Amino acid sequence: MLEIRNLHVTVEDREILKGIDLIIHPGETHAIMGPNGSGKSTLANVIAGREGYVVTEGEVRFDGKNLLEMDPETRACEGLFLAFQYPVEIPGVANLYFLKAAVNAVRKYRGEPPVDAMDFWDLVHERMELVKMDESMLKRSVNEGFSGGEKKRNEVFQMAVLQPRFAVMDETDSGLDIDALKVVADGVNALRNPERGFLVITHYQRLLDYIVPDYVHVLVNGKIARSGGKELALELEEQGYALYNEEPGRARRAAA
Amino acid sequence: MTAVAPLFSDPYRPAFAEFVANRREPATIARLRQEAFDRFETLGWSTRQQEAWRLTDPGPLQAIAWQPPTDALVDAGTLPTLDGPAHRLVFVNGRCAPGLAWVGELPGRALIASLGQALTTHPERIEPVLDRVPGLEQHPFVALNTAFWEDGAFVRLPRETVIEEPIHLVFCTTGGDMRIHPRLLLALEEGAQATVVVEYRGAGRALNTPLAELALGAGAVLHYHSIQEEAPQAFHLGAIRVRQDRDSEANLHLVSLGGQLARTDLAVLLDGEGARCSLNGLTLGRDQQYGDYHVRVEHARPRGTSEQRFKSVLDGKAHSVFDGMIHVRTGAQKTDARQTSRNLLLSKQAQAHSNPRLEILADDVKCGHGSSTGFLDPDAEFYLRARGIPAAQARALLVHAFANDNLNQIRLTPLRERLARLLAARLALDIAEGE
Repeated sequence: MLEIRNLHVTVEDREILKGIDLIIHPGETHAIMGPNGSGKSTLANVIAGREGYVVTEGEVRFDGKNLLEMDPETRACEGLFLAFQYPVEIPGVANLYFLKAAVNAVRKYRGEPPVDAMDFWDLVHERMELVKMDESMLKRSVNEGFSGGEKKRNEVFQMAVLQPRFAVMDETDSGLDIDALKVVADGVNALRNPERGFLVITHYQRLLDYIVPDYVHVLVNGKIARSGGKELALELEEQGYALYNEEPGRARRAAA
Repeated sequence: MTAVAPLFSDPYRPAFAEFVANRREPATIARLRQEAFDRFETLGWSTRQQEAWRLTDPGPLQAIAWQPPTDALVDAGTLPTLDGPAHRLVFVNGRCAPGLAWVGELPGRALIASLGQALTTHPERIEPVLDRVPGLEQHPFVALNTAFWEDGAFVRLPRETVIEEPIHLVFCTTGGDMRIHPRLLLALEEGAQATVVVEYRGAGRALNTPLAELALGAGAVLHYHSIQEEAPQAFHLGAIRVRQDRDSEANLHLVSLGGQLARTDLAVLLDGEGARCSLNGLTLGRDQQYGDYHVRVEHARPRGTSEQRFKSVLDGKAHSVFDGMIHVRTGAQKTDARQTSRNLLLSKQAQAHSNPRLEILADDVKCGHGSSTGFLDPDAEFYLRARGIPAAQARALLVHAFANDNLNQIRLTPLRERLARLLAARLALDIAEGE
């Protein structure tokens, strides 16, 4: 469902991704691991369509369609979801209002009428339980004053309500204690099914104990240095990224 | 002595002579008018040379041959309502239109009336309260108002009188290059409470210089709203003077949407211990609109609190000015005064000027101010778009959130909801969708 071929990306004239090839089929969960500055978040942002990332070569296709030609909102409406590493606080926009606007935007794109108020309420309540979210969070402004754990739970909650076909989880584990990590991972696991694909980006192997991937790729200095099964994550945990002849953070430092 | 040529006011001298010649009113009021007119001639039309008018220059206005007001008809169906019981006075070109007024039964000696009418029938009640709230002595349009006012509203609530229904004062202008000088006198005696909504509407080009004098006795509570929706060609140069006695509470909500040049000067004197005021202002500007709030809060007594929260949202080549002064006098210990000014620019040509000022002469006070001006947060916009919300709607949502935060301070629900809808309509945002 997601095909990335020879993807080269520059940010402010620095090449961050230097030829990524990755194919993810429906139902598969892929993990991308790598040291800081290897280009993990750049990959997530390029897939979601954030401004400031220039694709100089290669292509990204989503169900055969050229993803790179689409606006961020079109990508979302096509069924793509990015769980942000740093969810943005939006004062004055209530979480529930935001979510309903998002659901209705996707429905409008598909030519469907706005969601029925009761149906939406039922869906929201069911999905809230999935991530053990308190109802008061619905009325609060989007992410405003949320703890790190609440923000990440809110991301998974949004994903659960929007039910995308493909989700990129960008360092969803960062800043979480073990209990919050389990809640978030349970939420993701509950959404795994034969039609849905996941790309889980993480620095640490820990998350992959809970979200067990089908494939693991090691991203080093803008390239996939190695791919393998879930056991690759354990190997990395023991040996670190030094094996790949790269110190953590080298790419970022070189760039700066 | 060589006369300083009153260069700009010349056309007003014969107009003033004619105006006062036809009036029958007490000598004290006639004298007030004459003094004010003399002051107006001395001050002239404000210019950029005066510090208070450095950014906003109404100089070009003097080239227009402004006409004295005349009677006109307005379609009652176009007047705003508050969706509920309210005491209402409507003024067309500054004059009360009795056919459009509705004042319900009032307790005791409470009064809500046309000021022009009251001056004719009970001048002795007007004299002690007219022009008694200090402030803005050097403001030329305040002087112009005091010289030329004909009518307006007179609201007087005796001790402990509480009026639950809002007092709705609607001022319509019909253009024709008329100059309108409405006056509002509001006196809340000790412990009285009122909610007032003043709305300015109009069509065509006019110069409106309303002046409100709000006097709050000890423990009085006032919720005052001023919604300026003049015609796009209109000039609105208003002023509000407030004097508060001890433990009184004034909550002012000022919303500026219309006019090509709209400025309101607000002077609040906290003249009794423990007086509190909350001042909220919101300016929405687009095209070449120019909106200006000049605020001075004077803490004269101990334990007063004041809060100023002003925001502007500017599109096109719109311009906003916020000039806010907190002045704490020597004896006003334990003052707690805060001020924020936040401006959101939607276009690169829009400009916001923010000028926070503090003058603190007491040593045991808490004063703070903050000011920010910026564009929409691109990260927030991307976040919304990444969830499927189209770019234009995402931006509208963010603007609405920014401005609505200010409207949410309004406790009068029908007014708050009407303004939120108006705001959404301006942003082409369907707010019902996400309820």
